Amino acid sequence: MSLRDNRKRMLKTFFHYLRAVNAENIKEWKIELTYKPDFIRQFIEPFVYLFPYFLYGFALLGGRYSEHLRSITGISDMVAYTFIGYLFIGFLNTACWAMGFSLRKEQWFGTLETIFVAPVPRWVYVAGMALHSTCHQGLIMLIQAVVIATFFAIVLQMSGIFMALSIVLLMLLGLYGLGIIVAGLTIALKQWWVVSEALSTLIVVVTPIAYPLAVLPLVLRKMSMFLPTTYGIIGVRHFLLGEELVIGLPTIILRLFLILIVWLTFGMIVFLVMDRYGRKKGSLSIY
Amino acid sequence: MWVIVEEVRKSIRILLAYPAEVVFWIFSPLLWVIPLVFQGKALVGAFSSTPFGSLAGTDEFIPYVLIGAIISTYMFSAVWSMGNSFRDETYYGTLEHILSSPARPAYILIGKGLYNSILSTSFVIVQLLICVFIFGLDITLVKILPIFMFLLLLIVGLYGIGFMAAALTLLVKEAHGLLHMFEYVLFLFSPIRYPVEVNPITKAISVFIPLTYALNALRGLLLNIEFNFLKNSMILLGIDCVLIPLGLVVFHYVEKRTKTRGTLSDY
Amino acid sequence: MVGSGEIIVNDIRKIFKKGKPDEVRAVDGIGFTINKGELFGLLGPNGAGKTTLIKCISTLLIPDSGSVTVGGYDIYREPLEVRRHIGVLTGGERSLYWKLTPVENLRYFAALYGVSRKVTKERITYLLELMGLVDKSNVRVEKLSSGMKQKLSLARVLIHDPPVLLVDEPTLGLDPYFARFIRDFVKNELNKKLKKTILLTTHYMDEADELCERIAFMNRGKIEALDTPDRLKQSMPQKQVLEIKCQGTIEKDMFETIDGAAGINISHGEGFVFLRWNTDNPELILGNIIELVREKAKIYSVRVTTPTLEDVFVHLTGASLKDA
Repeated sequence: MSLRDNRKRMLKTFFHYLRAVNAENIKEWKIELTYKPDFIRQFIEPFVYLFPYFLYGFALLGGRYSEHLRSITGISDMVAYTFIGYLFIGFLNTACWAMGFSLRKEQWFGTLETIFVAPVPRWVYVAGMALHSTCHQGLIMLIQAVVIATFFAIVLQMSGIFMALSIVLLMLLGLYGLGIIVAGLTIALKQWWVVSEALSTLIVVVTPIAYPLAVLPLVLRKMSMFLPTTYGIIGVRHFLLGEELVIGLPTIILRLFLILIVWLTFGMIVFLVMDRYGRKKGSLSIY
Repeated sequence: MWVIVEEVRKSIRILLAYPAEVVFWIFSPLLWVIPLVFQGKALVGAFSSTPFGSLAGTDEFIPYVLIGAIISTYMFSAVWSMGNSFRDETYYGTLEHILSSPARPAYILIGKGLYNSILSTSFVIVQLLICVFIFGLDITLVKILPIFMFLLLLIVGLYGIGFMAAALTLLVKEAHGLLHMFEYVLFLFSPIRYPVEVNPITKAISVFIPLTYALNALRGLLLNIEFNFLKNSMILLGIDCVLIPLGLVVFHYVEKRTKTRGTLSDY
Repeated sequence: MVGSGEIIVNDIRKIFKKGKPDEVRAVDGIGFTINKGELFGLLGPNGAGKTTLIKCISTLLIPDSGSVTVGGYDIYREPLEVRRHIGVLTGGERSLYWKLTPVENLRYFAALYGVSRKVTKERITYLLELMGLVDKSNVRVEKLSSGMKQKLSLARVLIHDPPVLLVDEPTLGLDPYFARFIRDFVKNELNKKLKKTILLTTHYMDEADELCERIAFMNRGKIEALDTPDRLKQSMPQKQVLEIKCQGTIEKDMFETIDGAAGINISHGEGFVFLRWNTDNPELILGNIIELVREKAKIYSVRVTTPTLEDVFVHLTGASLKDA
């Protein structure tokens, strides 16, 4: 086969996979929209989820502004600070739940083996779910951002939005790696949800969502250095609210790149190993 | 009666096959308190806050939140387990079998609830022990009896809520999400993480949630905060008297409806 | 490429829970070749290993040893090519998305199989017409009957027009009308008209007998015999079968005293008990048998026929297809 033919074939395969990823995304939207009350709930829930964090802050401070927070971060508005953190950590759901859950869900539908005999690699389904969940979560976050920012009159630095989104993109790619790992583990583990729950709880604790790195004990601070969410949230808060950076911007970007490469590679390896294990043991069909 | 005992036995056996789950339920409330501790430290710069004290009756917000976490997990696991019980059975494919057996489904539910209470209570004991040894929580022997009394009053009411949750899962296919929503609503409107007095709306709604009274009483006992013993216990008792029959009626009605419409195994 | 068959299975093995007390030898050293355009049947009771074998061929499971090629592609080295080459019908009606419509289902699977948009449109129209599902094309699958779901599953399998079809228990749980439709469709449309190579598994003897050109008997992970249905039947040492249809309680050991009547096969159906003996001389044992049966049961009919595949299976394995 000539080099040109080879390239043509690769291109064809690439577009085939791309279409499959998108078909997965569209299918998910369609199925989701058939459960209308649940769909609506998913858009209301983030608000109900967020308010306790604000009210907790209000109870502690007797108001909205914290002198101590200003002294360690440069921002005194507790609401704005907490809000940005929790808004963007929403993408953790994409990794730990949507992507991790994707194969198990097909199993519940009974369609897993049917899609597994299609001529696309199995990560395509996980990628489709990642695409879907990113759109879904993105939409929720957009609504959340507009409503909360208006309600609490939070002023964001609009000039920083491009940089903030770029940082979020890098964080997201890193989280995809985590999602692929979880999706792989679900093949082999019956109690996969404990893994998801434990991972997401751990990441929520260690990531500086509603507090700066400075208040974390040293061990947790070290752990947080390996998470894309740490750099993502720090970066976004810097660009949107002007939080003082404790880590230099080039370092943040460099580490995000490193993390996403390591996590994605590791994720792929775990997924391939688990997939092979599943096909050897027949574990996916035994539930 | 043997149905209830058998149900408890079966559930314990199933759970013991999943040790990771046990560990998870024990540590989960303690884990979700940690971010609140750090958030508090970042906002106040210390582990006590005067504005918090003026609302909650104690400046120390960590023990306050810890008790909220432990007791609310107690509540949620009951609702989850009873609500999800029939969901799980659908997945195991045995639901229809169980519901068509001569045992009344309500007994099966009580069995599941009882199992859950035994389990959750042992978790709460472990969690409180952790709190005593690590966080220096002060539990004297005199307090143990009233603590268990309030826990019992809370549990009984939970059975009523559990019945309704189970009914909901038979009725709505995506009940999982609704139970989640229920959890978030309780987080918002009852004093789990913060004194509800912080906001007039939360304060007004919290009056209707049994958890509010249980938490007030238990925090009062554990943290030596002043509270009205008689008022809180009477209100809880009153709520129990309403919730149990209501839960049974709702469950019975929904079960009948599901059977006539034949939507049982449809998920 | 090894050999010239469309599907070549060579000494494959799949053992679950290896080395443990509850070890299962699901597929235990099986080999056969299916020619291009052939309709090949795997007949065996539930648990014989048929589905495991189909899963190995369709790359869902990795065999422990042995080799399989489909259309010349190796399942280990070229799994994606193998999958492109085959259409797999397993799992019955659950293999579709119930919340989507037939058109949405087919469009989704077409994208997975890399069928171009233009061809997808044509194929969907063609397949829905072929299956008589045009008026249901925009109704959610959950609202369709079991038979219609199975028809749609067949359409799904054909969306990328694969040359090879693996069909696992296609009529399981269907009512007689839809079961007939599926059988006719597999035989006439898919095999005869469209010249598809088909590997069909079933535990219905009639189905295999009616549809398949060649049949492999599978039991406990092994192939016990492989030939055309006629030759399999001719391979029986006894050329006739004595059948008594009765109602009552009949025990196998009742007939031990009668010379030549020990090898009895008892089956139940439609409220009757069917007693069958493979024999060369039915007249010789008939009198004694009837006398014994009449003591315990009411006889409805007595007839002498030729052996069926069920008889061959019982003769070879000692197990009935209906046993499991």
